[in-house]
Amino acid sequence: MEHGKHVFRIVILVVVILTVVLLARGFLVPKTYGLYGRYRGANVGEQMNIRPVMHGGAAACADCHGDQAAKRTAGAHKNVSCEICHGPLGAHVKADGTVVKPPIDRSFTLCARCHRKVAARPAKFPQVDLDQHVNGPVEGKVCLQCHDPHSPKP
Amino acid sequence: MSDCHDGCNGSRREFLSGTLKLAGGAVVTVIGGAALASSGSAAGTGAPLPGGGDYDWNEHLWAYLVDTTKCIGCGSCARACKAENDVPEGFFRTWIERYVVGMDDSHVDSPNGGMDGFPPVQVGFVATKAFFVPKICNHCRATPCTQVCPVGASYRTKDGAVLVDIDSCIGCGYCVQACPYGSRFIHPATHTASKCTWCYHRITKGLKPACVTVCPTQARQFGDLKKDGDPVRAVVEHDRIQILQGHLLTEPQCYYTHLDKEVR
Repeated sequence: MEHGKHVFRIVILVVVILTVVLLARGFLVPKTYGLYGRYRGANVGEQMNIRPVMHGGAAACADCHGDQAAKRTAGAHKNVSCEICHGPLGAHVKADGTVVKPPIDRSFTLCARCHRKVAARPAKFPQVDLDQHVNGPVEGKVCLQCHDPHSPKP
Repeated sequence: MSDCHDGCNGSRREFLSGTLKLAGGAVVTVIGGAALASSGSAAGTGAPLPGGGDYDWNEHLWAYLVDTTKCIGCGSCARACKAENDVPEGFFRTWIERYVVGMDDSHVDSPNGGMDGFPPVQVGFVATKAFFVPKICNHCRATPCTQVCPVGASYRTKDGAVLVDIDSCIGCGYCVQACPYGSRFIHPATHTASKCTWCYHRITKGLKPACVTVCPTQARQFGDLKKDGDPVRAVVEHDRIQILQGHLLTEPQCYYTHLDKEVR
């Protein structure tokens, strides 16, 4: 019986350690951890609604701006989404319904992003060597003086 | 007498060490069992669908496809990504690289991630070809970034997106170092890992990622490998496709066509 006391102490110690570990685990590990894998399962659902959808696509713009949309889809810019130049729909029509005027960038830098002559662009893509195309300094709204961005012609 | 004494001592020592080992083993077994019990239900079909909505992640397996010959380097994708995901200044979830390649040398640049377009560039060698390569998280099937996460904050969903749980992330940055594609960064405000989610808040609502939505030349495409007749699936199934850094065996789910050997 004298030796049995040592075993009893060890068993108590093991039980105490086990209890502490399991309690700590219960508090520290998130509830849905391990639901689908080694991560907090609830986060997948959170990620689905982590932020509002900002880009609505050209079809959503056409709901209100049918004229411009029809003109655009009939021209060379038919694949150029409205939001490329005017910013995301979510910044134009807020979640609460208020409408904010979207940016209308008439500067030549907007056009240059796609159409300035750069060697890496595909050769077939329409590009403009600004030095040869325009006489004098290239600045301001110079492109829009001749070209309509909603239905551009060469 | 002395023999017995020694013998008794020895057996007691053996008995104690045996008991300790047994106890240690029991602790490991119990804790391991508890952990398995909680993660074991992962495989179980009883777990409810995440999100609680109509979206069933078992019905989709997303894939991304880039045709480098179509990219004009306008940077609309990177701008849309910034606006859609509120990406902080100076960091990018997607970006465009310009390669200028000659027989002797090559030049790669990505001014401001390509967001403002690309100015003409002068190189100090004879360039024979030049092209743009859009870059994005490859959402690897065997991704190193989730393997190194010490707290289970980074994971791959059943429909194939690699995501970061910023409530669990401790910002240690191991995943940022582990990613061979440079797709991750530590967010300067939250101090947690951040990366492309394939716009998980959009694709689970039936929309395309913002970068794909705005791409004017369809250089970027997004599709579902589990859907019959999906254009991206058709390319992955039937065409010659490439991946970035295949030798690392990360199994990217972002596929490229017409990729040059210079691209890493």
